[in-house]
Amino acid sequence: MTTLRPFTCDDLFKFNNVNFDPLTETYGLSFYTQYLAKWPEYFQLAESPSEHIMGYIMGKVEGHMDNWHGHVTALTVSPDYRRLGLAALLMSFLEDISEKKRAYFVDLFVRKSNKVAINMYTNLGYIIYRTILEYYSGDQDEDAYDMRKALSRDVNKKSVIPYTQPVRLEDIDMN
Amino acid sequence: MAHQQQGMDSALFERRLRPVYDNLEVGNNRKALQESEKLLRKHPNLLCARALKGLSLLRLGRYEESHSCLQTVAEEKPVDDSTLQVLSFCYREMEQLDKIVELYQHAVKLNPGNEELLAHLFVSHVRVEDYKAQQAVALQLYKAQPKNAYYFWSVISVVFQGIRGPESCIPEKRKLYLALAQRMVDKHIKEGKLETEQEAFLYLHILKLQNKYQEAWDFLTGELCAKLYPGAPVSMKFELLKELGNWLELNKLLQQLLEADRDRWDYYKEYLESCFELLKQQPAEQDQPIFTLNTCLDFLLHIIESSTRKTRGPYLARLELHQRMRAKQLPAQELIGDFDELIIEYFNLFGDKSCCTHDIALFLPSISMEQRQSLANKLLQESGISSNSLPQNKEHMQKHICALQISRMCGAHIELAIEHLLALYTALKLHYEHGHSSFGKQLLSTEMGPSDPYALLAANVMYDISMREHKSDQLFEALCLLQYVLRNSTSNFHIKLLSLKIYHMFGCMVGAQEMYDYLDIKQIQLDSMGYVHCNLLPLSGRFSGVRNCYDTTLKFFTNSYKERLEYIALTYRFCTFSKMEEFMNFKERLTNSLLYVACSVEAQLCDLVSCYGNIQQNLSAYVAMSIEPAEDRISWHELSDNRDLQAIIRWDPLHLDNTEAERKESYEQEIEVLQLRSLLLRLFASFIDLYHPPPSEKLAMSNNKTTTLAPGEDVATLELLRTSWTGLYQRLRLMNYKPLSQRFLVNLQPTRLHLLLEIPYERFFDDLAQLVLDLYSGASQLALQCKQVSENVAAVMELCVQTITESNEWNGMDGLWKRREHQQKVAACLEILSLYAFLLSVLNDKLQCSAKTKTKKKGSADNKSQEPISEKERSQMLQELIRQLKHKLEACDAAIRIWKPPTLPRDLSSFMADMSLKPEVEATLIGDVSATFKESHELMVTELRNLLKDKLRMIGK
Repeated sequence: MTTLRPFTCDDLFKFNNVNFDPLTETYGLSFYTQYLAKWPEYFQLAESPSEHIMGYIMGKVEGHMDNWHGHVTALTVSPDYRRLGLAALLMSFLEDISEKKRAYFVDLFVRKSNKVAINMYTNLGYIIYRTILEYYSGDQDEDAYDMRKALSRDVNKKSVIPYTQPVRLEDIDMN
Repeated sequence: MAHQQQGMDSALFERRLRPVYDNLEVGNNRKALQESEKLLRKHPNLLCARALKGLSLLRLGRYEESHSCLQTVAEEKPVDDSTLQVLSFCYREMEQLDKIVELYQHAVKLNPGNEELLAHLFVSHVRVEDYKAQQAVALQLYKAQPKNAYYFWSVISVVFQGIRGPESCIPEKRKLYLALAQRMVDKHIKEGKLETEQEAFLYLHILKLQNKYQEAWDFLTGELCAKLYPGAPVSMKFELLKELGNWLELNKLLQQLLEADRDRWDYYKEYLESCFELLKQQPAEQDQPIFTLNTCLDFLLHIIESSTRKTRGPYLARLELHQRMRAKQLPAQELIGDFDELIIEYFNLFGDKSCCTHDIALFLPSISMEQRQSLANKLLQESGISSNSLPQNKEHMQKHICALQISRMCGAHIELAIEHLLALYTALKLHYEHGHSSFGKQLLSTEMGPSDPYALLAANVMYDISMREHKSDQLFEALCLLQYVLRNSTSNFHIKLLSLKIYHMFGCMVGAQEMYDYLDIKQIQLDSMGYVHCNLLPLSGRFSGVRNCYDTTLKFFTNSYKERLEYIALTYRFCTFSKMEEFMNFKERLTNSLLYVACSVEAQLCDLVSCYGNIQQNLSAYVAMSIEPAEDRISWHELSDNRDLQAIIRWDPLHLDNTEAERKESYEQEIEVLQLRSLLLRLFASFIDLYHPPPSEKLAMSNNKTTTLAPGEDVATLELLRTSWTGLYQRLRLMNYKPLSQRFLVNLQPTRLHLLLEIPYERFFDDLAQLVLDLYSGASQLALQCKQVSENVAAVMELCVQTITESNEWNGMDGLWKRREHQQKVAACLEILSLYAFLLSVLNDKLQCSAKTKTKKKGSADNKSQEPISEKERSQMLQELIRQLKHKLEACDAAIRIWKPPTLPRDLSSFMADMSLKPEVEATLIGDVSATFKESHELMVTELRNLLKDKLRMIGK
C-alpha cells in the first residue's frame, strides 16, 4: 500500500530509515540536487500510509538517437517494507516515464554478486546486456552487469541484443 | 591596455596561468602566489594573474592584502571571462555576493548584448534573490538571443516578485505580478512557442496561484499539455477536481485508476474523500439518495474479490472507511462489520509482513483504551504462540512479533508488574535465540536477523524496568543483549541506534562513538541524525576528544553553505521551474540548521577551553575565531529543526507517545541552551577584547588617530552582554522548563538546560565581568571583587571534587545510574575553570606589559576623583588570583586522579545464562562491553588531567 510522489529536497532529511541499509549509499548533496534539478520526474518516492519513507528510485534519461534511454541510478527499499513488490512498482513508474519520453530502453548497473537484485530485475523483464569489468571500486573491485529492457519504441528489440565480450568502463560510450 | 594585451595571445597567457591554477587546485597556495607574482613581473597588467594573486592571498588568510589586490582588479572593470570567474569565485568565498553583481554589470555595460556575460549577471542576481533585476536581465537575454529558456527566466522572475519578493505581501501587487506572468505565457502559447514540460508546469502553477482552477483544468486536459507534458502527475488532476468541487468526476477517475493500480494508498485516500463529499452533496428533499457509502464498500469488495494476488490496499481502505464512518457517527459496524474482526482478518492475511504493525497502528487511535487492550489480546491469541509453544516458521514468527509490538502500542506493558515484565523479557530473549538459531543462520551480511525485533522489544522492556526501579542493572543487561545481537546481525541499524542511546545514558563515550562510527553517518545525515550523538557531546566529559566529531559535522555544513546558491542556479540552468521554490526553502533549512549553529558555538567554546599553547599562540588562535562579541550573528527566528526523529523505531503506547510534542518541547530547550552558550562565548570574548582589541579595531584606531573612544565606549559591549547574561538567566529561571520526559527508551535525551542552570555559570561570569571591569579601571572595590571571584573559584572546585566523591560513593550502589550526570557536572566545572585560566593568562600578560610602559602616563591622568589603584597593585592582586587558581586546579586534579571507573551491575558471568551461548562467546561479549566502559573512563580521566596540566602551565611561569 503505497503513495508514490516526487522526491523533494525535504525528504533528504527524512530518508535515514532507508539509507541506513548497508547497500544504500548516502551521496553528497550535489549528487541529489543535480538529479532533482535535471530530471525531477525521475526521482520518485514511495511512502507508507503511516507516512514513512518506504523506498525511492533515482534515475535519468539521456543518450543520442537510438541510444536515448532511461537509466536507473539508485533503487532502494527499506528493510521494513521488503517483499511487497515495491521495487517493481518503482521500476514500472520509471519505465512508464521513459515510455512517455519516447526512450528506446531502460538500463541499470548491478553488482555481479547481488543475486537478489539480479533475480528481481530478471523477473521484471531485464536481460544481462553485458558485463562491465571492475565497475565498482572498493577494497575489492567488482564487476557490474549492465542490464536492459527494451521499450515499445524499440520495435525490433535492437537495444537488447547482448554483448558477449565484457567491456571496461572507459571503453563504453555512456551516451 | 590590459584588454588589448589579453586579446593579443590569450592561448599563450592561458598556458602561463596554468601553473597558478594547478597549484590552487591542489591547495598549494603559497606556490600559487609565487607563480602569480613571477608572471606579474613580466606582465604587470595581466588582470587574470592579478586576480589569481588575490585568490592565493585569500586562501593564505592574508585578507587585507587580498582585498586591496582584488579591489584594484575590480576597478579596472574587467570583461574577460577568466578574470571575471576568478573574481566572482573570490567574492563568493567571502560572501560578498553584491560585488559579483557589480562586476558583471560593468562588464555588460561594456559589452551590451553579450549572452554569456548577461547569463552570468542573471545568476548573480539569483544569488542575492533580486527577482526584479532578474526579470530585467532575462528580457535583455531574450532580446539578445531569443531562446525559450530566457523568456521563461523572466516569467518565473515575475512570479517570484509576486509570491516571494518584498512586494509579495501586498495582495494587489501579488495579483498584478501573477497576471503579468500569465499574460507573458499566454502570448507565448498563442505564438505556438511553448516547448517543454517545465514550461507547461509553470503555466499551470501560475494559473493555480491565481485560483484559476477551471482554466488550469482545461489546459491540463487539453491537447497542448498532453503533447508537452505527458508525464504530468495524476495528482494534479485530483487537486484541481477538488478545488472545482467536481467530486463525481474525481470519484470516477479514481475508480478507473484503482482498477489498474490496486495498491495505491494515495488513490484510496482521495477516493474515500470523494465518497464522503458525494454523500454530503445529497439534496435533502429527495427520498432516494443518489450516493450511499454502500457503493464505496461494494467497490472495495469488488477489488478484493477480483484480485488474484492479495494486496494490502483494498483491505486498508476498508478499515479506513470504517474509521472515517465512526468519526462521523455513521453506522460503520452495520455496513462493514465488526472492527476487531476486520483487524484480525487483516492480521491473518498480512501479519507475516513486517509493515503490518505500522498498518494496524494507523487505526488504533480511533478506538478506546479498553478496546485496544482486548484487540491486542485477540491478536496475540491469533498468532498461535503461547508460553509453551514456539513459532514453526519465519512467517509464523513475524506474526508473533507483530502481535507483540501491537500489544506494547496498546499499552499492555505499562500495567505489568516488574516480575511480569522480567518474565516477558526472558521470553523475548528466548524467542530471539530460538528465531536466530532456527531461521537466522544463513543470512547475508547485509540482512537483518528475522528475530532481531524480539531483542529490540526486550531492550525497551528492560528500560521500563530500570525506570521503575531507578537502577541501571536491567538496562545494562539490555545493552549486553543488543551487543550480542549485533554480532549476529551486523547490519541492523536499529540495534546500533539503541545501543548508542544506552551508551550515552551511561556516559560511555567510547561505546557511543563506536556505535556512531558503525552507523556510518555521513553527508546530510550528519544534520538529520546529529541529535543522536554530536549534539550530546558538549559537556559529556571529554573536550578535545570530541572535537573530531564537531569537525566532521561542521565540514559538511560549511561545504553545503558554500554550495547552497549553486544548487539554485542549477535549477535555472535546467529550467526546472517545479523545483525552484523547493530548492530555495531547502537552502534556508540547511543553512539555518540549529545543529549547525549549535555545533559551531560548541566547537569554539571547546577550543577556548582546551587551548594549550603559549599566550601568543592562544591569542592568535582566539583572534582567528573572529567572534566579535558586539554582534549577534545568529538568526534566531530562522533556525530550523532538521532532526529525523522517526529514524529510531518505537512501539511505545500510542496514547503516551507524542513525537511532535516531544520535538517541540526539546527544540525550545535546545534554543535556550544555544542562547546560553552563544552568550557565554560572546561575554567571554568581550573580556578578552577589552585587554586585547581585535586587529580590525586596532586598525581603525591607528588609521584615524583623532577619534579616541568616548568614555565608557570601550566597556560598552561588555556591560551590555553582562546585562543580557543575567537577564537571560533570570528569564530562564522564571520559565521553569520541565526536564524532558524519560519514560521510554526512545525519548530524547534531556537537554543541557537544567545542567547549565544548576552549575553556577551565571554568578561566576557575572562576578568575573565585574572583576574585569574593575581591573580595567582600577576601581577601588577591586580587592573586594577579587575576593568574590576567589570564592566562586573555590566553590566550583568544591563542586567538582564533591561530584567526584559522590560518583565514587555511587559506585558502591549503582555505578551507572548517575554516571552521565556526574561526568557532565565535572566537565562543566572544568569548563568554567579553564576559561577563567585563559582569561587570567591574558590579563597577566597585559598587566605585566603595561606595568613596564604606562607608569608615567597614568600618573598624570585624572586626579579629580579617586585615584585609581596603581598598575602595580593590580598586578599583585592578579598574581594572587593566579596563585589561588593553581591551588584549586591541583585540588581538582587530585580528585580526578582517584575517580573510579564505574562498577558494572551485578555478577556479569551469569546474566545471560539462559541464552544458549557458548561460554567463550559469553565471556568475550561481556568482557568487551566491560572493557569499553573501562577504556572510556580511563580516556576521560587522562584527557581531563591533561587539560588541567595545560591550564596549570598556562598560568604558571
